[in-house]
Amino acid sequence: MRATFRAAMLESWANRRSFWTQLAAMFVNDIAWVAFWVLFFEEVGEVRGWARADALMLLAVITTAAGFVLGVTGNVRRVASVIADGELDAALALPTPTLVHLLARRIEPVNIGDLVFGCLLFALAGDPTPARIAVFAFGVVTAVFVYGGFLLALGSLAFRTGRGEVGELGFHAVTMLASYPVDIFSGPTKFVLYTVVPSAFVSSVPVRLLDSFDPQWAALGAGAALLSATIGVVSFQTGLRRYTSGAAWTRA
Amino acid sequence: MTWSALARAATTAARRTLAQPGLAVVSVGFYLLVTAAVTSLWRSAAEAHGGEIAGYSGLALTWYIVASEATVVAQRVRLIEEVGTEIGSGAIEPELLRPVAAVGVRLATEIGAVLPRLVACLVAGAGYAALVAGAPIATGSIGLALPSIVLAVVCNIAAQHAVAAASFWVRDAKSAWYLYHKFVFIAGGMLIPLEVLPESFESVARLLPFSAMAYAPARLASGYFEPGLLIGQALWTAVMLVAAVAMFARGERRLTAAP
Amino acid sequence: MTIVADRLARSFVTGRRRARRVVEAVQGLSFTVEPGERVAFIGPNGAGKSTSIKMLTGILHPTSGDATVLGRCPWRERRALTRDIGTLFGQRSQLWTELTPRQSYRMLGAIFGLDDRRLDRRTAELGALLDAEDLFDVPVRTHSLGQRMRCELAACLLHEPKILFLDEPTIGLDLLAKQRFREMVVRLNEAQHTTILLTSHDVADIEYVADRVIVINHGRLIYDDSVDRMRREYFATKLIEVGLMHPVDRFETLGASVVHQSDLSIRLVVDTQVLPVRDVVDALLERLPVADLSIVDPPLEDVIASIYRVRSS
Repeated sequence: MRATFRAAMLESWANRRSFWTQLAAMFVNDIAWVAFWVLFFEEVGEVRGWARADALMLLAVITTAAGFVLGVTGNVRRVASVIADGELDAALALPTPTLVHLLARRIEPVNIGDLVFGCLLFALAGDPTPARIAVFAFGVVTAVFVYGGFLLALGSLAFRTGRGEVGELGFHAVTMLASYPVDIFSGPTKFVLYTVVPSAFVSSVPVRLLDSFDPQWAALGAGAALLSATIGVVSFQTGLRRYTSGAAWTRA
Repeated sequence: MTWSALARAATTAARRTLAQPGLAVVSVGFYLLVTAAVTSLWRSAAEAHGGEIAGYSGLALTWYIVASEATVVAQRVRLIEEVGTEIGSGAIEPELLRPVAAVGVRLATEIGAVLPRLVACLVAGAGYAALVAGAPIATGSIGLALPSIVLAVVCNIAAQHAVAAASFWVRDAKSAWYLYHKFVFIAGGMLIPLEVLPESFESVARLLPFSAMAYAPARLASGYFEPGLLIGQALWTAVMLVAAVAMFARGERRLTAAP
Repeated sequence: MTIVADRLARSFVTGRRRARRVVEAVQGLSFTVEPGERVAFIGPNGAGKSTSIKMLTGILHPTSGDATVLGRCPWRERRALTRDIGTLFGQRSQLWTELTPRQSYRMLGAIFGLDDRRLDRRTAELGALLDAEDLFDVPVRTHSLGQRMRCELAACLLHEPKILFLDEPTIGLDLLAKQRFREMVVRLNEAQHTTILLTSHDVADIEYVADRVIVINHGRLIYDDSVDRMRREYFATKLIEVGLMHPVDRFETLGASVVHQSDLSIRLVVDTQVLPVRDVVDALLERLPVADLSIVDPPLEDVIASIYRVRSS
């Protein structure tokens, strides 16, 4: 497991030149978001309980959590193509649990840049008292599990359907919708964002906790994290079982 | 003869787009997602602000975003990077062995490939806007918005080719796509109407070519009848086309020249 | 004269600052090609083949020297020349994989200024010539690589070029597809008198396609003669590799010499001037428990080495 992680680290460093340009690009992207929220709230003031500081915390949470998921467990976004391209067979031959190996096998340093940015943004704009740091960390961890579990479940669809456009759209959907405060949506859309596409738990719920800690919301966030991670792992494992038994059957 | 070749290149590229319906579904789906998110943001902002922001009502903002997002999302996001890679790797060389300039064919195929996606996005976006916010405010300005959207796309594609041509000289020029897009997003008025920006920003942004790529058609779609915007766009499009052709011509000379 | 190269030379600067150095890719290359000739331009990887082709097609200026192709200077009159030459780069595709070849041909035809009637006539003609009519109306992504290369070949012949430049066209093709492709090139030359200039590092491309061969190595011309002559002088050997079902102690080789033998494999060299390969193979199949047998050409490196040997002695 540690060896896998190490191999992934080395691989990601192999092309250092493009690493720095991509990292710069990522920072530009994040700074553009900061600029957008600053300009937006400059004119608008406050929207449904969200002000500039909340939007910046939203950005900090989503970049940290997505940076972790897409950076450290980089394969989670590629689960569908890993399955469709037969890369999985190589992982199956190893003694380590397939899912663990798969998740540890790819590091995307560019997204790690996002993670660093998110932490920096919290440190600079988030008034990091010890209590707030703890809440931020708790929020980010729940966001990581919700986001990662969702992407894993989405990718595992490929066990049934082959590589599909649904997975790609689902990724964009959860990521983009999590970049905006959930309260700008109303009615049924809002309901969807708390359930089917759980983007609310990836950013808005942690920010709400930072704003004023409420044990009920915290429990809801933790529950969503647990549920999403379970759905992700279970759909991967059941898919994998189908896959291996199917493969054995074709071989026979 | 050259013009008919370019027209044929554009229609062939359009046919290629239509031959990949899966990709078209993804780009329209993606477009609807962004549009839904950004319009919701602006509509709730208008509502929190007494019904309008910088002269835009919630309805106007919805049509604004529908148009501004379509001009950008219908295109290949990483166009600069992809063209730059083809220049850097020499994949462009066979195109130099044709009687029509490579850049001409490239611009034509890119525009041809985008148009079907653009139409699909606009139809979906108009449906969405009508559903959640209501019919467009003024039909006259919508009439102007349609040619304006096409001009915006052409201007943007030409500008991206001019930037990508830097790859004839500099290896990492292709990474500029990220920065370029951020300029379109904010200075181009794609995410935020220019009138909402602080005054000094706004006046700078109006002087930049990016406003011709998103703001102009979006302003027209939001109900402001300002034909002058089209003239500005036409000028910028001409400038960008000339720049792309000139950059490619110089780059090709550089590629073939003796050391 | 279709092509005249006169002391063509081209160098490249690589690396930056201290690592900077000048690489002489082509040095003083001179030769001429007559209309209708089929010339193979061969050499190992990095010998300067592609650089030479690029200069002759006009996409690279030489550092020194001169050339004319169909009476024009390629790098000064590139655009005008494109109407009379066709080029096929083995690793670069002109066809769009999502579309059918015919759809791509319509675009390429328009770029080369062909009207639809002329294009349709030409497409039909090429379809018959290259046995490819039935490939023209299915998307390229469903083709095998060999089928696709035939369609690529048709693509660069639409405007009826007088010279066809083929840069490593058979790279990556399987044996049968390669042979098929070579057949098509010869057929084209015979039917339409198109001059062929083909680069390759595959010895078989020369044997089957060319009537003349130019060998370059390290940017210099080291051999320029007919393929018949080269065959006599340098391709006089074939390698036979035999896999056995069980080990054997002794066997008759008819005069072929054994260069390697282990329990289950034997490699022999046959001098084809003395002994037909067929006789050796017949004898081997009759007398040995053969599981597997292949006949291969000597690698290009060996041919070049023997050219140097002959020159220096």
